[in-house]
Amino acid sequence: MKLKLLGEFLIFVVFGFVLIFGIDFIPPPPSGLKNYFVCQGVRQTGAINLVSSIYLGYRAFDTLGETIVLILVVSGIVMLLEKKDKE
Amino acid sequence: MKESEIVSVISRKLVPYILIFGLYLISYGHLSPGGGFQGGVVLASGIILLALARGTDSAQKLFPEKNLRIVEAKAFFLFLFMGIGGLVAGGYFLQNFLPLGKAGEVPSAGFIFFLNLIIGLKVSAGISLICFYLLKGE
Repeated sequence: MKLKLLGEFLIFVVFGFVLIFGIDFIPPPPSGLKNYFVCQGVRQTGAINLVSSIYLGYRAFDTLGETIVLILVVSGIVMLLEKKDKE
Repeated sequence: MKESEIVSVISRKLVPYILIFGLYLISYGHLSPGGGFQGGVVLASGIILLALARGTDSAQKLFPEKNLRIVEAKAFFLFLFMGIGGLVAGGYFLQNFLPLGKAGEVPSAGFIFFLNLIIGLKVSAGISLICFYLLKGE
């Protein structure tokens, strides 16, 4: 029992150390891309809302994938529940 | 299930405003917080409120299941065609081929407005279709 508690405590310490190390000592990601979006986003896509200028302008292909996910979910649910109706 | 007068009246009065708010979120998606996904969910919540308060059968008189299915499938192909339009205009896939206009006005930002509209319709049709099916299973 005591040994198990000690093991859990050790796991907490290790993960806490990893988290604190990750927050404190890893340098922040380069901000060049962020500056590029903030400076050029409105001019290049024409949308004031930078979020929508990114997810429909620069990353529109990603949004296409999200719509595929949604259509798959809907067709899966229709398939599962329609079968139940006919029985 | 016995119908409650209060729930029925309040929902019927509230649903049009919810639908208008959803359309506002969609059509101002490139100017203010919001956009296709959020506005589509608000539209769907209006339809679901109607279905919960009045039953799925009377909700399907206004929003027939067949039409929702058609919107859900066709909106995806519309999205693809908007992407292919960029190729036709001589650029890359999903290029903004419409004129950008003046930033800050409602008809601006080229095809971002239309993509928001398509995504909003698609999300609202999909989510209300899911809820129709789940409510029917009771």
